[in-house]
Amino acid sequence: MKIAVVQFPGTNCEYETLVAVKAVGMDGEIFRWNRSAGELSSFDGYFIPGGFSYQDRVRAGAIASKEPVMQALTEEAAKGKPIIGICNGFQILVEAGLLPGTGKVEMALAQNVMVSNGKIVRRGYYCDWINLRHEAPPRRCSGSFLMERGSLFKIPIAHGEGNLVTSTPKLIEMLNDEEQVVFRYCDKNGRVINEFPVNVNGSTESIAGICNPEGNVLGMMPHPERAFFAWQLPAFDPRKQRPDEPGPGRSVFESVKRYIEVNA
Amino acid sequence: MSQKINLRVWLKIPDAEAATVKNTLVRRMGFGDVLYDVLKERLFSIEVDSGDPQELAKGFAKELVNENKESYKVLIDELRFEDEYVPVLVSLKIEDGEAISTQERLRGRLGFTSVVNVKKATIWKLYLHGVDRVARAKEIAEGLLINPHKDAYEILGE
Repeated sequence: MKIAVVQFPGTNCEYETLVAVKAVGMDGEIFRWNRSAGELSSFDGYFIPGGFSYQDRVRAGAIASKEPVMQALTEEAAKGKPIIGICNGFQILVEAGLLPGTGKVEMALAQNVMVSNGKIVRRGYYCDWINLRHEAPPRRCSGSFLMERGSLFKIPIAHGEGNLVTSTPKLIEMLNDEEQVVFRYCDKNGRVINEFPVNVNGSTESIAGICNPEGNVLGMMPHPERAFFAWQLPAFDPRKQRPDEPGPGRSVFESVKRYIEVNA
Repeated sequence: MSQKINLRVWLKIPDAEAATVKNTLVRRMGFGDVLYDVLKERLFSIEVDSGDPQELAKGFAKELVNENKESYKVLIDELRFEDEYVPVLVSLKIEDGEAISTQERLRGRLGFTSVVNVKKATIWKLYLHGVDRVARAKEIAEGLLINPHKDAYEILGE
């Protein structure tokens, strides 16, 4: 079971992502954007990690989405292979039309706008540990294949453009109806509150991650690779004192592994 | 009566973002036969309700332009561009937080109380061969320069 962790100029989470891939028992390697795109077909799954591909020139994910490797990934996605885009990886998948999955650009991840009591209280880059609720049923999506609906995760975010907006009529309704909304921001009790600080970036309906209609392509703004081990958790979390325990982000990687096993 | 001060700002040093856009359009998107250069400007359109616009423009430029690396041009109540390229204006169609922050900073901290509105945009200057330059510019804008769910574009002088 071999995973490609795709690296663009400016990607900065590829090594942690590869560590996480290997720690759940998958083989993997970093796949540079300028390798022959055809080589991607020999892999069983793909991660597009976070960072600032091409320095976010024009807008986050726009330049990377035009690279030949993305065309190759589109072909691999059509075969049902799992593709997980994390943070900037999510932005690239949106710009490439792989998410929500119609082949067209149906939405944007715009600049963060934090709203509280009807007023804008903050804008732009934000990093913190946040709470996430899994919205989809088990086995709906490759990256959350093993997760129960409603399960909660404490996980870090770090981005300036994660505010999901769309002018496509009924897109959000469709995402909800088809169970393509995989993660939402929530409070520690699982309540979705569409205001900062629970909704950390102003994203429509607090959406933090979505999948394509087939479920094999997932994009999410939070960083599971940064919460893979319990020792990565923040100091206020008691699990940090139990470093042998898995961190909450591990389930994303275990899910991908199980998805590949089931669909092999 | 309000007046609009347009401040066109561009880098004197090489613009890596414009170079990346040109590279992507030529090498990845098939515009190599028609596109021979891409340059970029920032545009501040600052509406004022009083004062000498030329003097105000100098004050705005002092705050918004770093003359060590940037040049600028002031246009009052007009927006003209040179003929040799197609200017594509790209701006946010959702709320522009940077424009709001700029307005608040100019009015509040910097004391330009005559400022009533600030808009920001990027001008992409597309140097194109051929007769159908506007149509190609539209293709480029829609293919790379904007995400239609948050950005709007306008071909200036069309």
